[in-house]
Amino acid sequence: MNRAWFSLLLTLVLGSALTVVYVKHQSRVLFADLRNIQKQQDQQVIEWGRLQLQNTTLATHSNVESRARKDLKMRLPENVELVRLQ
Amino acid sequence: MKPSDRVNKGDGGAVFLGMRHSFVLLVLISLLVGLITRALYLQVVEQDFLTDQGVQRQIRTIETPAYRGAILDRFGTPLAISTPVDSVWVNPDEILGNLAALKKVTGKLKLDYRDTVSMLKQRADREFVYLKRQLEPDFARALAAGIEGVYLQREYHRYYPAGEVVSHLVGFTDIDDRGQEGLELAYQDWLRAEPGVRRVIRNRRGEVVEELAQVKPAESGNDIYTSIDMRLQYIAYRSLARAIKFHAAKAGSAVLLDARNGEILAIVNQPSYNPNRRRTTATLKLRNRALTDVFEPGSAIKPFTLAAAIDRGHYHRGSNIDTSPGYMMVSGHPVKDIRNYGVLDLSEVLSKSSNVGASRIAMSLEKKQLWESFKAYGFGELSGVSFPGESSGYFRHHSQWQSLDHATMGFGYGMSLSITQLARAYAVIANRGRLVDLSLIRKEPVRRPMNEISRHVMKASTAQLMMKMLTEVVGPKGTAQAAAVDGYQIAGKTGTAKKSIAGGYQEDDYVAVFAGIAPASNPRLVMAIMIDEPTQNGYYGGLVAAPVFQEVMSNALRILDIPPDDLPTLARSKGQGA
Repeated sequence: MNRAWFSLLLTLVLGSALTVVYVKHQSRVLFADLRNIQKQQDQQVIEWGRLQLQNTTLATHSNVESRARKDLKMRLPENVELVRLQ
Repeated sequence: MKPSDRVNKGDGGAVFLGMRHSFVLLVLISLLVGLITRALYLQVVEQDFLTDQGVQRQIRTIETPAYRGAILDRFGTPLAISTPVDSVWVNPDEILGNLAALKKVTGKLKLDYRDTVSMLKQRADREFVYLKRQLEPDFARALAAGIEGVYLQREYHRYYPAGEVVSHLVGFTDIDDRGQEGLELAYQDWLRAEPGVRRVIRNRRGEVVEELAQVKPAESGNDIYTSIDMRLQYIAYRSLARAIKFHAAKAGSAVLLDARNGEILAIVNQPSYNPNRRRTTATLKLRNRALTDVFEPGSAIKPFTLAAAIDRGHYHRGSNIDTSPGYMMVSGHPVKDIRNYGVLDLSEVLSKSSNVGASRIAMSLEKKQLWESFKAYGFGELSGVSFPGESSGYFRHHSQWQSLDHATMGFGYGMSLSITQLARAYAVIANRGRLVDLSLIRKEPVRRPMNEISRHVMKASTAQLMMKMLTEVVGPKGTAQAAAVDGYQIAGKTGTAKKSIAGGYQEDDYVAVFAGIAPASNPRLVMAIMIDEPTQNGYYGGLVAAPVFQEVMSNALRILDIPPDDLPTLARSKGQGA
């Protein structure tokens, strides 16, 4: 009887010990993943800032205006060219 | 040992073996006791010290970066945003022991090697010295990767993509991200980021292997949606800059309001500066003149003199005023018109801008009445925006007025106000007599009812009569024809004021002003323009400031899809062709 209890407890203790090792390992792996993802996120935040700046620089009104006027030869319509729809 | 000992195999041998056994046993036991004692000592006596040391080597408290909120226009175009950068720092003690590495770093950073060494030696007692701040992250990372003892610190750099177009409004921050001017200063608490604090375990190579606790979460700043419409802001900036140049003026400001809710759609100043490169900027360029600088508005005030008198029933639609002989004496000082206009009706007082007429109307009111009305139109009080350094203008209490003040107040001398205050007062006429608090912040889509954001300060009938008269000023017989926009009815008034200097007025220095409302039949926009000391190509408000209004307003009405309310003129200009 005692013997049976002893071996059962021994198995449980060993099993629990191994699980602790395994879970600890899992947590390390997951943490490493998390760090990687955080690094990626950081990189993407940098990229987002850069794109935002690039976007606003290219879309500056003075830039758009000069491109429209010079490169695309656009102009405001004269009143004679306006047709009012109603 | 003697050879005889070995030969002797009697009792003596057994004794000898027994002794050896106990000796070895004793040594082993004493070693064991020693170990146990040492273990106990370490575990019990020195435990705190050792744990502490271990923790110090492994556990670190590190900062989680957080970024400052962005400032955006009403549609989300960034006016100020923070993007990550890295600053390079070293521990002087450490790096001075590795001069080769230092030489490499200074080379890459284009720093002077000798200067850097002497700088580091001066600060040898510190553990943290910046070598160079705010570098592009990719560059900084490549730099630090190859060299030991060089570290990076994440920071955020503030960029102002709209540059000088909106610099006076947005302001700027210092290198530590604290607001110094403009909205950056006014909304510092709202924009500010709070870096978080984490406790982590690091391995021997300094990599974080486990996070123990988040002591304080990082809190990034909040964004601000301003009321500015960048499209209009840019057009206003360009027109103003062009006018300043054409007339060789000293400075200028313009404000464009949404009349219906008091939002400021554009607010521009000249001279301006680029907030991204402001180290060389003179402080006089930093002022948001539209809010901080006051001037005597001159004739642009006349509509309010008339409104005050009409509101109290002293004058009405059909009243006539005799302005002959073109001047009048008030306590020994002459008030003059350009020429003798004779008998004028009320709208002619405005469209011909008669000083004598305006003075007579002002004097028909008691000082107190005129003061109360002007006060109600917002003269002498802040406009409702919370902007650092905003001026409430100079408007004395009526008990301090001399009789000359009483007369000159009627045509805008003896008091001063900012161009924003002037625009706000014109919005009273546009809003059928309601004074609205202005705002630099976008109001949420749900528009609050007019009676919550404004108060009645002028009779609606008076405001409508003023609209009608102001429309004639911009009409074919008025002084502000240059402000007319094809297809729209425009109401407005010019002003040309001599600049006051100590003890009097400067003969040749003028301030040209125009304030206008569009479209007159259903007012949506109010704009006021002030140009300081125009020296070339004229100086009258109608010649200098009104064209800026025309240019900005014709674009703004088109961009905001405001339907034309004056098709006959459009048809006429159609007839003339292009």
